[in-house]
Amino acid sequence: MPVATHHKGSSEPASGAAAPEFPAAAVPPLLDLRGLSKTFGAVQALGNFTATIQPGEFVTVVGPSGCGKSTLFNIVSGLEEPDAGGVVRFQGASVMAADLLGRVSFMPQRDLLLPWRTVIDNAVLALDVEGAPRKAAREQARAMLPEFGLAGFGDQYPSQLSGGMRQRVALMRTFLFKRELMLLDEPFGALDALTRTMMQRWLLDVWQTHKRTILFITHDVDEALFLGDRVIVMSARPGRVKLEQKVDLPRPRPAEVVISPEFIRLKRTLLEAIEEEAMKSFLAPGADGATTTEVR
Amino acid sequence: MSATADFAAALPRVLGSRTVQRGVLGMVLLVAVWEGVARGFALPAYTLPAVSAILVNIVDSWAVLAPAASYTLTESLLGYGVGSLIGIALAGLITLVPRARAAILPVATAINSVPVVAWSPLILLWFGIGIASKVVMVALAVSFTVFLSALAGFDRVDRRAADLMRSFGAGRLSVLWRLRLPTALPLIAAGMRVSTVRAIIVAIVTEMLGAYDGIGWVIYQAVLQVDFVRVWSAIFVASAISLAFFGLVSFCERRLIFWT
Repeated sequence: MPVATHHKGSSEPASGAAAPEFPAAAVPPLLDLRGLSKTFGAVQALGNFTATIQPGEFVTVVGPSGCGKSTLFNIVSGLEEPDAGGVVRFQGASVMAADLLGRVSFMPQRDLLLPWRTVIDNAVLALDVEGAPRKAAREQARAMLPEFGLAGFGDQYPSQLSGGMRQRVALMRTFLFKRELMLLDEPFGALDALTRTMMQRWLLDVWQTHKRTILFITHDVDEALFLGDRVIVMSARPGRVKLEQKVDLPRPRPAEVVISPEFIRLKRTLLEAIEEEAMKSFLAPGADGATTTEVR
Repeated sequence: MSATADFAAALPRVLGSRTVQRGVLGMVLLVAVWEGVARGFALPAYTLPAVSAILVNIVDSWAVLAPAASYTLTESLLGYGVGSLIGIALAGLITLVPRARAAILPVATAINSVPVVAWSPLILLWFGIGIASKVVMVALAVSFTVFLSALAGFDRVDRRAADLMRSFGAGRLSVLWRLRLPTALPLIAAGMRVSTVRAIIVAIVTEMLGAYDGIGWVIYQAVLQVDFVRVWSAIFVASAISLAFFGLVSFCERRLIFWT
C-alpha cells in the first residue's frame, strides 16, 4: 500500500535522503543511521547517508560499484568510524561505531574460511572468540548442518568444498554468532546463477525460521527485490540514499515471483534509479568501477 | 603413537621414490670413487683415509663417538627449542605491540650482522665451558632465522580475515592465536627447517673452541693427536645427525601443516 505513493515509474528522482516515511513507528528502529559521511583522503565515499532498519526487517542495498556500500558496512560492523557529525543509533542508544564490534553479525564478500579448521570449527569461530565452551558450540553447529545443506560435511576441510558450500559455511558462521542484526555483503556475488538462485530461496527460508534482521548488500536488482522487504538504492560516490523502495510482494515468495507484473514494475523503477547513478559514477573522473576498486 | 606408525608407513614409499634412488646412487658413486682414489694412490691416512677405514674406525671408537654425538645432539635440541621459542615470541610481541618493532628489530639485526661464531669467545667467557654456552650459541643462531620468518608470516595475514575476527569482538591476542599464528606456521616451519643444520654446525664449532665433550671436542682432540681418521669419523657422525634432524623436522612440518 505505501507502494502506491511511489507509484508508476518515471525517474521521479526519488524521495531521496529525506526522512523515510516507514511504517508506524510503534517499534523503535533497531538501527538508525543519520547523516553518515566518510572521507578517505581526497575521496568521499559516503555523503550524508541516512536510513533506519526495523527489527525483523530484511533490507537490501543496491548501488553502482564504488558507491561506498562496503564503507557503510564497515561502519555498521564497527570496523570504521564515520566522519564527525554522523550519528549511529543501535537498539535505541547512540553509539560509537567501535562499540558495535562484537554486537553485529558480519559476513564479508569472501567466505574467508580458515583452511586449517574443519567445517564445524569454522562455523563456531565466533563462539570460540567469545569464549564459549567448545564442545557445546560444536554440538550446536553439528545440529545446524542439515539446515545449511552441509549434512555429513562437518569434518571436511574448506578446500574439499564447492563454492556454494563454502558460502553456506560462512553463512552458518554468521548465523551462529547470534546477533539481532546481520550484515551480509554480497554473499552470493561469486556464485554461478543457478547456485545463486538456490541460495537466495534457501536464505529466505532460514531467515524466516531464525527471525533476524538482515541488511544485505548486492549489485543485482533481481536479488535485491526477491529478498528484501525494502530496497535502498545508493547514489554514485559519495554514497547517499537515492531511493527507498518498499517491496510488498507476499511471503513466502515463490520462484515465479520474479516474472510477476508487480516485480517487473518495481524492477523498472529501481533500474532507472540505478542506471542514472551508474552513468554518473562511470563519467566521474577517476571513478569508474573498472579501474578503481570499491573504496573501503 | 600414530606418528611413528605413519613414519614407518612412509618409509618404503620414500625409499621407493626415484629422487631418493638417484640420491642413493650418487652417494654410492662418491663412496666408490673416494675408496678407489684413496686405495689406488695409496694416500696416507692424514691426507685422505679410505671410506672403509673410516667406517671401521667409527665402529671401533663407538664408545667415544656415541656419547659425544648424544651430547652434541642434546645441546643442539635444547638450543633449537629455546631459540625457536624466543624467535616466535619476539615476533608475536612485535605483532601485538607494533611500537616495539622499532626497538627490537634494529637490535636483533645488529646482533646478527656478524657471524654467530664471532660471539663464541664471549659466550664461552660468560656461560663457561659446559653445556650452557653451546645452548646459548645455538639459540642465538636459531632465534634470528625463526624470528624473521615468523615476523614475515604474522604480517602476511589477510586483512579482511582479521577484520572479520574483530567484528566478532576478537582482541589482538585472540587474532594472533586464532588467525596469525596458523597463517604464519608454513613460514615459521620453513625457518625452523633451515635452522636445523645451522643448530648442529654452531654447536660443533663452539665445542671446538672449548668444551668437555661433544663431536666438536672429539674433532679437536683428534687433531691434537694427529688422528685424522678419527676426525673423519666424527664428521661422518655429525653429518648423519644433521640429516636425521633435518628429516625429522621436515616430517613434522608436513604432518602438522596439512592445509597448504
